Amino acid sequence: MTRRTESRSGTGRLAAWLLAGAAGLLHAAAFASTADHSQFKQLQQTFGSGPAVTTVCLECHARAADEVMASKHWTWSFPDPHSGKQLGKQNVLTSFSLGIQSNNPTCNACHIGYGWKDNSFDFTAKENVDCLVCHDTTGAYRKGTGMAGHPPVAGMALPEGTKPVDLADVAQNVGKTSRDTCGTCHFHGGGGDGVKHGDLDTSLTAPDKEVDVHMDALGLDFACTECHKTTDHQVAGSRYALTAKDPHGALMRGKDDGRNPATCQACHGNTPHKAARLDRHADKLACQTCHIPEYARGGIATKLTWDWSAAGRRDSHGQPLLTRDDHGRIVYDAKKGAFSYGEDVVPDYFWFNGKVEHLTVSDRIDPAKPVPLNRFEGSADDGESRIWPFKVMRAVQPYDRVHLTMLKAHTTGNDEDSYGRDFDWHRAIARGMKDAGKPFSGEFGFVETEMSWPITHMVAPKEQALSCVACHGAQSRLAGVPGIHVPGHHGHGWLDKLGWWLAGLTLLGVVAHGAGRAFAHRKGVRK
Amino acid sequence: MSERVYVFPLFERFWHWAQAILIMLLLVTGFEVHGTYRLLGFERAVDTHTVVAWTLVGLWVFAIFWHFTTGEWKQYIPTLTKVDAMIRYYVWGIFTDAPHPFRLTRLQKHNPLQRLAYLGVMTFIGPLLWVTGWLYLFYASWPAWGLERYLSLEWVSFFHTAGAFMMLLFLIAHLYLITTGHTVFSHLKAMFTGWEETD
Amino acid sequence: MKSRTPLMTGALLGLLAVPFAVPVHAADADWKRGRVYYRFVCTDCHKQQPGGEISPTSRTMAEWKAYFAAGKHEKGKNSLRHFVSKSYRESIKGKNQAAAKFIDVPEEELWKDVQAFAIRGAKDGDAPAKCN
Repeated sequence: MTRRTESRSGTGRLAAWLLAGAAGLLHAAAFASTADHSQFKQLQQTFGSGPAVTTVCLECHARAADEVMASKHWTWSFPDPHSGKQLGKQNVLTSFSLGIQSNNPTCNACHIGYGWKDNSFDFTAKENVDCLVCHDTTGAYRKGTGMAGHPPVAGMALPEGTKPVDLADVAQNVGKTSRDTCGTCHFHGGGGDGVKHGDLDTSLTAPDKEVDVHMDALGLDFACTECHKTTDHQVAGSRYALTAKDPHGALMRGKDDGRNPATCQACHGNTPHKAARLDRHADKLACQTCHIPEYARGGIATKLTWDWSAAGRRDSHGQPLLTRDDHGRIVYDAKKGAFSYGEDVVPDYFWFNGKVEHLTVSDRIDPAKPVPLNRFEGSADDGESRIWPFKVMRAVQPYDRVHLTMLKAHTTGNDEDSYGRDFDWHRAIARGMKDAGKPFSGEFGFVETEMSWPITHMVAPKEQALSCVACHGAQSRLAGVPGIHVPGHHGHGWLDKLGWWLAGLTLLGVVAHGAGRAFAHRKGVRK
Repeated sequence: MSERVYVFPLFERFWHWAQAILIMLLLVTGFEVHGTYRLLGFERAVDTHTVVAWTLVGLWVFAIFWHFTTGEWKQYIPTLTKVDAMIRYYVWGIFTDAPHPFRLTRLQKHNPLQRLAYLGVMTFIGPLLWVTGWLYLFYASWPAWGLERYLSLEWVSFFHTAGAFMMLLFLIAHLYLITTGHTVFSHLKAMFTGWEETD
Repeated sequence: MKSRTPLMTGALLGLLAVPFAVPVHAADADWKRGRVYYRFVCTDCHKQQPGGEISPTSRTMAEWKAYFAAGKHEKGKNSLRHFVSKSYRESIKGKNQAAAKFIDVPEEELWKDVQAFAIRGAKDGDAPAKCN
């Protein structure tokens, strides 16, 4: 009903008046778009595939595909200005999937395109851009599992039980992006709801205020783009280009002065507290450090550990083992290994200056200690850093014993090289490295890895921000963070010892002196 | 036979007792902020410490004014005369009922050791705590005042803590020494009534 | 205001239906608003009841459709529709923010919104959904 308000029917002014009145009456809940796409003749047809829809979209939105193709959402590649390395999903490693190249049909269900199933994917074909995954408002659009980014459509050979998507209905109801559309991928990173980030999961589709003050469905109800302000399909505020500190006042929305509009300060400025003492904390702490007391607060657990080396076990009948915990979460899967989860997790804290070092499969590692798959740079004295909250993901994953590099592996699909079919690591790795175009010596082992994920969503109401004593106490969240003096937590070592010794000795001295006087006085009296 | 001398006028007595209470509160809350124990909770300890500190500052403004308008500041002019006798008295004479080497008058109400001790408290321990305390309180303004480059919270806190320990030592000694008057309670009584009994 | 709303709604429906003859489908209801109402009103109360929470996924689309068509709550003790009515929202708005937020939404719309969410989130729906 409400989304039809812009119809330009011949009924003219009366209609317009009625519509304006109705719009005022109703809460503007879901205006899909200012143009009612359901009226467009071009969209009133049966679409047999995603690219067929895109071709129609581009008839009007002529530049849209070029803009999308210039974004990381499309390239999955990011030339890091700090290190000169090529980052992005194509190049970095995570603990959640052992590289995308040999797992494209599965991983690339989250690519903003259609058909990236192998290296032959045409990154210049505009009709391969998936408009619907971001602009759907019906909630009915889905990319199929293992379909390399294509949605399941009637007429295709679909796996048993797969429901086809009515592309015409989706296309006729396109609108602005929403937490639902962004969340299709970003809430499910790492292969499931909340798995990867810890501060992004489906609880944010309609959260209450406790889970996130900004996205509160009954309050501010911000869409992602409220902060991740998007112009020409370029989304601001990437994890690859974080702003660790932003010691400036609030930013005027829409004014392009080169600042990242996704920082807290972009709206709140640098002195948002009533007490100057609290504002002053911001020269050491990121806002998130106090205002996101725990992550995974929406009732959905995030993965904290993943042991790939444990994969491959079968039960007594020879069937691949699958174990769930009391909450119904998979804690062991023969195809993937063993996991553990956490809800309401207290973050780890460390200095961060905006520069992130990512390990690629070409980098040498030291298998004697846990390998950092990424490293957030920063220190107390570089003048660029703030202490940030992080989720630290710990994993055990394969590495090359000869080349001393991390290894990619073919872990998805059901072909002969796929790990999940025969549980043969050697074949899966050989295939993974071949697809990635990297050498594999043939000898592999497993090494512990650590990967950090900055926590920045799930901002709690101010009443639930960390209290002073969370850091300023014997048990401090910032214990072990170098280069800071936290009153109440850090004493003064020898000064404290000396002070209490002297106080004790003085007390002892006066007691002894007093006792002496009393004794002498008694003797004197007796005498 | 003992005499009585009026040594502590009303304002001085008020100043003394108000200051005594405030300093003890500052010690109790300060060492909690320092992390020595948990009593009020960090946040309340900080708030209380701040309010009490400002109250003490206010009291001191009056006290300084009073000292200079009445000329009482002269009571703290240091002297080394009879210091040796005072030390000998505390180390030995006090146990043998020897006479007190200092004879208190209206114009000289503190013995030489007291003069030195109080002068030290007022010109060294006090200012050390004040200056570091203010820097602590105005930590948020360091950048605006151009102090950011020269100071670190850790050292400000260090010297503030050092001052606090000195004040604590003074307090312990002071509390004991009030028992060394004509009788055990005569000094204490004088601090309430203003009248000191002497030998 | 109240009395004019159904009239205008009717007029609008007519206006839109005639020139374009687009069948009224689920997308016409605001399933997102339905989701918020479902979670913050229905679930909020249900989780304190002996029966507990009921996820959209715990029923099939057909079951939901039948359930809404029958419109019976607590086995017919009262009408299901009562729980989206203005008077019901009015009665709980003090302690329920969602009821307060949607206090002016016409009952008819909210009724459709909630249905749209439940059917969309059904076991065999377009996007199976839990209650939270």
